[in-house]
Amino acid sequence: MKETVYDRIFKPRSYTLENGKTVKQRASRTPLILVMVFLAIYASFQATGVDLSLILTRGNEFFVIIWSMFPPDFEFLPNIWKPLFDTIQMSFLGSLIGALLAVPLALLSSSNVIKNRFLNGFFKLFLSILRTLPTLVLALIFTFLFGLGTMAGTLAILIFSASYVGKLMYEHIENVDMGAFEAQESMGLSKIQAFRYAIVPEVLPTYLSVSLYAFEGNVRYAAILGYVGAGGIGLVLNERLGWRDYPSVGMVLLVLMVVVFIIERVSEYFRRKLS
Amino acid sequence: MNEAIRAQMGKAPNRKLYFTTIIIIVLALLIWSTLGVDITGLDKKGTELAVNIVKGIVAPDLEFLFDFSTQGVAYLLYQTIAIAFLGTIFGSILAIPISFLMAPTVVSAPVAYITRLFVIFIRTIPSLVYGIMFIRVTGPGAYAGVLTMSITSIGMISRLYVDVIENLDRGVLEAMTSMGCTTYEKIRYGILPQLFSSFLSTTIYRFDMNLRDATILGLVGAGGIGAPLIFAMRSYRWNQVGAILIGLVLLILLVEVISNKLRSRLVSGTN
Amino acid sequence: MIEFINVNKTYPNGVTALKDINLKIEQGEFVAIIGLSGAGKSTLIRCINRMHDINEGTLNVNGVDVSNLRGKQIRKFRRKIGMIFQSFNLVTRTSVINNVLVSSVPELPSWRKTLGLFPKDKKIAALEALDKVGILDKAYNRVDQLSGGQQQRVALARTLAQNPSIILADEPVASLDPVTAKVVMDDFKRINQEMEMSILINIHHVELALEYADRVIGIRKGEIVYDGKSEEVTQEVLDNIYGSVTEIPHMNNPEEANV
Repeated sequence: MKETVYDRIFKPRSYTLENGKTVKQRASRTPLILVMVFLAIYASFQATGVDLSLILTRGNEFFVIIWSMFPPDFEFLPNIWKPLFDTIQMSFLGSLIGALLAVPLALLSSSNVIKNRFLNGFFKLFLSILRTLPTLVLALIFTFLFGLGTMAGTLAILIFSASYVGKLMYEHIENVDMGAFEAQESMGLSKIQAFRYAIVPEVLPTYLSVSLYAFEGNVRYAAILGYVGAGGIGLVLNERLGWRDYPSVGMVLLVLMVVVFIIERVSEYFRRKLS
Repeated sequence: MNEAIRAQMGKAPNRKLYFTTIIIIVLALLIWSTLGVDITGLDKKGTELAVNIVKGIVAPDLEFLFDFSTQGVAYLLYQTIAIAFLGTIFGSILAIPISFLMAPTVVSAPVAYITRLFVIFIRTIPSLVYGIMFIRVTGPGAYAGVLTMSITSIGMISRLYVDVIENLDRGVLEAMTSMGCTTYEKIRYGILPQLFSSFLSTTIYRFDMNLRDATILGLVGAGGIGAPLIFAMRSYRWNQVGAILIGLVLLILLVEVISNKLRSRLVSGTN
Repeated sequence: MIEFINVNKTYPNGVTALKDINLKIEQGEFVAIIGLSGAGKSTLIRCINRMHDINEGTLNVNGVDVSNLRGKQIRKFRRKIGMIFQSFNLVTRTSVINNVLVSSVPELPSWRKTLGLFPKDKKIAALEALDKVGILDKAYNRVDQLSGGQQQRVALARTLAQNPSIILADEPVASLDPVTAKVVMDDFKRINQEMEMSILINIHHVELALEYADRVIGIRKGEIVYDGKSEEVTQEVLDNIYGSVTEIPHMNNPEEANV
């Protein structure tokens, strides 16, 4: 057993067996980790001002809004269709183009396809940085560049999809068993042909499935893009919440729920087929 | 060609129609979407702004970035971490009972189905709407953000927890039965150790995501780095925007690296 | 001593698993049970520690009529019988020693049980069990870092820490490669000889069964068709247990091969 700094501070225990052998057990790290977690929780309570008793005294306020959404205002329904379709269109277009863009990005990042460490590292970092930028922040930046409207939202979704699908794909491509590829090269296929017949069939189902999953998430996410003026149903939601017109908010949420539910079911159906 | 081969050829699945239909539907959706989205290019003002944004990122306001007062980037990032951290902890605690109620291997099918519908319900409400509702309870600030994070994480966490619960290895329980263990002992030593590391790994993963989501809560006044970001943008202070974005990207990358390390350690057990 | 007297067992779906079994196994014997899958090997073994109930007949284990046991008595009775499984059945995400310590859980006061604090003598007992199967140095490794053979030895140590008088093993080497299978069988043999534990082993490797066991029991369709010394097993005996060659499904008839 190699002695680490930790072992020097917290001495290992040793046990002696009947036949004279001794076994050392490292001191458990659990207490130390627990102390650290509790400190982190304490610090977080301080930084956020969380006061649990407030939930008990004022928690009902949360439900005031929820209850005032019932019954949803069905007369508001005609005002929902257009922004709802905008949201779906934004998500679809953004997800589709994003997923297509992810292909070259993923290939350039995969060390077993492009054998250039510098390129691989560069594109991996690029995808990671794209992924860290919250979609809403991107949408906000794009509203400055392209004006208020669906274009900003579509671009934000596009970037998120490209980075999300791209990252999952290069991870998958790098883990593909290269045996089939080698076998086909040994049969006289060119590298591109071998890629087409050995790697593509392995990765294609995952690619489609991940893209569908991204689309699913994007529809849900696109609903809030309207908050920063990037088009879609979020605009209506924001406006109605501002006016405290809760029955209409309820209606928007109800429609959203139904649409998300349907899209999730359809996407889940196809993803099951793919796996 | 002998008979058997010919017969087998005939059996090759003919899925041309199926694929053609799907392709047509996707193309139709694509055309419909392209028509719906008003595609605009960069006008002169937009180009100018783009240049300014790039300038801001290249030359960020470093003083603002390393400002540890309650208005500075450093402090607000710290507050964002705190929001995501507490939100993840509360969310994962709430997700435990819900995930058991969602597992058909634990409860009856109707109960599992109703719980699943309930989770879909809470998942569809956008986080910003929760933010607004919680501000009514707590007033504007980070506290509302914590509550929002707690409730928005329930959906995904409980879904991942259910997978763990359904994939429990029952062999251990069989072995413990053969050793004469009681039900309590089987739960404590057969089930909990299996659940613990998987649940923890899920929770760490969600913390990673929550940190990203927590950055936007400021938009509705629920604390964190989001508010100053929008404020800086609306007032065209691009070097401040640059400072915030750089801080954000570095923080999230750092947390991602740490969380991946921790999780692979939990899953593979290498020390 | 294990004694089956006219034991019958039928599953709720009507399948007869054991038909009129009469069997006597003395303390300290090493018995291999062979037969086709589905012949009732596993059922036979699992009746002994009441993992399965029998329908008719009497089953005495160390002077206890197994069918009469209830609730807590069953659990107490099982403490004296160890069991080993094909898929090891360990908690893979925790350390080796924690898996072995589980065997002492029923004997702990409830506060220790809940907190998972094991007294020193239990820890030493667990380490000694690990030493007996030769993996003492792996005590604080996580189980999922060990090979299949090592995992089966952890399971064996877990059973040894229970200090049983009988060990039942249900296909213990079926998921191991031939070399590790031999190592694990060697462990069984040593335990059998050094500690005089009875060992009953279900096994589909005939060569291993003949090499290690003193006594072989052949089962076919729930009935004992051979019971005798392993040296006396002939090709005829095996044909009788496994059915003659023509009865084995083969490739000329695709319908049967799919079964």
